[in-house]
Amino acid sequence: MASAANANLNAVRETMDVLLEISRLLNTGLDMESLSICVRLCEQGINPEALSSVIKELRKASDSLKTSENCTN
Amino acid sequence: MSESILFVSLSWKRRALGGVSREGFRRALKKRAYGALLSKIFQDGTKGSASATSAVANTPPRNKILMICFDLRVAGCREEAETLEEQLGRLPEGASSGLKEVDSVLELLVHLAGSAPPPPTSF
Repeated sequence: MASAANANLNAVRETMDVLLEISRLLNTGLDMESLSICVRLCEQGINPEALSSVIKELRKASDSLKTSENCTN
Repeated sequence: MSESILFVSLSWKRRALGGVSREGFRRALKKRAYGALLSKIFQDGTKGSASATSAVANTPPRNKILMICFDLRVAGCREEAETLEEQLGRLPEGASSGLKEVDSVLELLVHLAGSAPPPPTSF
């Protein structure tokens, strides 16, 4: 039972490593932590297209908020 | 004493977030996230070439990555294209990956491809 769980954990780790490398090559801007969160969301059935839209929108919003604050300071 | 520590830590956080309060920053990001999610609800789905859209939507994500590999080769990035193909070949399919939704994750990566600023080139 424990060995099956270990084997599954190893498979997940290996898959995550490959996904991170693919993500880096595609220049998605996701680090291991954010990729893990995205994988968990996808595993729960989140639509990947909607998730990508939200990620892009949040990046834009974060950048514009930071820029506007820098201008006011 | 504890009040001054609280004040210093709060002002430090405000500075770290560029002067915006953490709550305000969170609220603004939340609003944008919901805006992005809900913006397409009221759009007319019949607009544009529906067949072309569905053809792209029905393409398996692994094939979309292979199409990106082709684009990379055309752009002269042969090494990156080969590494990407190699990594795609290493990616286990189905239950052997330990994940249920590998294709969804690949789809997400395809959608986010090129969305980050390019890494600095070293000379």
